[in-house]
Amino acid sequence: MLLPTEGRESRDIRRIGIPRAFLYYRYGSLWTAFFEALGYEVVLSRETDRAIVEEGDRLSVDECCLASKAFMGHVASLLGQVDALFVPSFGNGDPRAGFCTKFQAQQDLVRNRFRLDGCRLLSPRIETITDRKAARRAADSIAQQLGVNPKRARKAADGAWAAYSAACRKRAAAQEKTLKLLDEYRRVVAKDPTGTEQAPLAILLVAHPYIAHDGYLCGAIVDALREADATVLFADDTNREKAFKKSFSFSATLPWIVNRELIGSILMLQDRVDGIVLVSAFPCGPDSMTDDAVMRTVQGTPILNLMIDAQSGTAGVETRIESFIDILRFQKQGGYTHGR
Amino acid sequence: MAASEEKPTRAPRDLANNTAERRFSDAVRAAIAFVPEKLRPPTIIADRPKRLKRDRHKRIKVAFFRYSHYAPAFKYFVEQVLDAEYLPLPAPTRRTIEQGSQHSSDYVCTPFKHMLGDYIEALELGADVLVQFGGFCRLSYYGELHELILRDLGYEFQMLNFAAGLEQGYLGFAKECLKTVNADIDIPHGVRQLLATASMVNKLDEAYDFYLANAGFEVEEGAFRRAWQDFMDAMASCTTAREISDGFNRAMQQMRSIPLDKPAQPIRIGIVGEIFTAIDAHSNLGLDEKLLAMGVELHRMVNLSNRMIRYNEDNMRVNVSEYLAYNAGPTSTITVAAAKKYAESGFDGIVHAKSAGCTPEIDCVAVLQRLAADYRIPILYLTYDAQTSDTGLDTRLEAFYDMLAMKKEAKRR
Repeated sequence: MLLPTEGRESRDIRRIGIPRAFLYYRYGSLWTAFFEALGYEVVLSRETDRAIVEEGDRLSVDECCLASKAFMGHVASLLGQVDALFVPSFGNGDPRAGFCTKFQAQQDLVRNRFRLDGCRLLSPRIETITDRKAARRAADSIAQQLGVNPKRARKAADGAWAAYSAACRKRAAAQEKTLKLLDEYRRVVAKDPTGTEQAPLAILLVAHPYIAHDGYLCGAIVDALREADATVLFADDTNREKAFKKSFSFSATLPWIVNRELIGSILMLQDRVDGIVLVSAFPCGPDSMTDDAVMRTVQGTPILNLMIDAQSGTAGVETRIESFIDILRFQKQGGYTHGR
Repeated sequence: MAASEEKPTRAPRDLANNTAERRFSDAVRAAIAFVPEKLRPPTIIADRPKRLKRDRHKRIKVAFFRYSHYAPAFKYFVEQVLDAEYLPLPAPTRRTIEQGSQHSSDYVCTPFKHMLGDYIEALELGADVLVQFGGFCRLSYYGELHELILRDLGYEFQMLNFAAGLEQGYLGFAKECLKTVNADIDIPHGVRQLLATASMVNKLDEAYDFYLANAGFEVEEGAFRRAWQDFMDAMASCTTAREISDGFNRAMQQMRSIPLDKPAQPIRIGIVGEIFTAIDAHSNLGLDEKLLAMGVELHRMVNLSNRMIRYNEDNMRVNVSEYLAYNAGPTSTITVAAAKKYAESGFDGIVHAKSAGCTPEIDCVAVLQRLAADYRIPILYLTYDAQTSDTGLDTRLEAFYDMLAMKKEAKRR
């Protein structure tokens, strides 16, 4: 509920802070483009580091997932530097394309946990993510709160949406290109008369975007994979609409859009990669169920399920990745039936 | 037999059957029909066998998971609405949760493990159909994963998964029932009985609210428990809405007549939390009974009737708008609203019960901590996993009770 004076009170807002956590990794380009088009300065929190996770851990209930703790740390790092914080709330209006309840509650977490001291909270509610109108309504409510002309806000929202769609398409196209190169490479290796050429190893990394692309949380895993000369493909880069549609052949009732896209990506790319690595932040609610389902049903491609926690050092992860890659290479050479 | 023996003897004598002869005969045409007794009414169609009313009852056994005191309502739903057979489950044992935990992912929320254990037992007892609800958190994916795990284990069954009909609402749920359990449900009758099921849930909760508020002060030990058991038996044998309300009235009468030794200012504790663990005695290791045994008045807003049947999230949130701006999860609003209500009405303490890994309730903790500071009300946070020993719980509850009692005593002086 907005008071009529709220727009005027928010006129002094210049710097809008966006925590580099959670759905920033999904909608970051959209949000940044929107606020920049309206003439605000967007302040991103710094890349996740140990200090941020530790601060977030201190501010959170023990049982929160690692990503949520990192989020709290990012919010804490922004306070004092910005005039307003952007923390939207995502509802579950579509029972097949919702989010973890964390994204419903995140702005209430911020409101109840921090003393905001004059730092405004921009938190529109997007009830149904698959509904384009919901995004427009969210833009309207921000415009109202910031005292911006609604027409200008709509124009900015449309522009931001275009920028965001273009970014998504670009990522999907880049992934498709990599896959084609891999296919080509494999054909060349297969034709190699000397048999000395080593086939490429492609790994599909399946994780929520705020895990997969966070250098601190998942960096060690990505580095270890690349160290082992594997090509890493991110499941969240795959064309989202196609992956989402594909996921219905896997599950009729799965309620989370991100997990649907990840699973759709697994189904689409399964035969074009050599191995799949599932990465979850402990104790991720949706992944606690979908990882189990994927491990039980997706066959034909080796899957490694990794759980990351704040305490875990990188050594344990590296060992597991190394042994997984070794198994994959061994399998490729023919496994135990090699030479027969 | 008799007719076929008669025919050959009668035919040569009587020309009646020979149409050609009869047609060209010059004899007087006459015939007599006489049956001395009125064996049938003088109408053509009455003699036709009436179309048998289809036997709508489906002889398959439907089982729910165990859930607090709602077994009679589940039974009523299966017998009266689905018109199938209900498979009652015996009290759970340690094996139930062990089986459930063994076959589920270790960090999935605890109700999933309890329900999986219940399903395994139900299938061993002969269930043909298992029922799972849908929800607005992980609960809406429970059914599918339960089905996958149980089929992987080798069980054969049908799953009535209400999460599957979620897009279409009531229509979708009805379609699921018709498709999975019984295609011959008498729909108007089923709708009436569905309303009766809802009224039974309301009555069960209303009676249990009375029980929670008063059972801690009974003079004769066990009187309330006996009355409650009688009520459960009465509810389990109901077949009509009238029987439900009669049974409820009798039970309330019985409970009200139990002599109480209640102080003017008893210690009052409100229970809030996640809708499965905060309610289900087997999941929360008998939280209600343990607190009642200490002689406290208990209140608990979260139950099926308040959360499902007469729930209006938007209006409930108005009163707690300083804590929650949006609907923050399946039971978040009712948890915060109840906690605030208890704090405002001068309760001595609040117990927040949730299962391990319940994301919405974990997020509520931050809100409740602020509420506890605002109203200076102690809150005990309990997280339950698949543990089977309640010693730790006893210690915590006793310490909490002692603290509340001392605080109350200090305030009185």
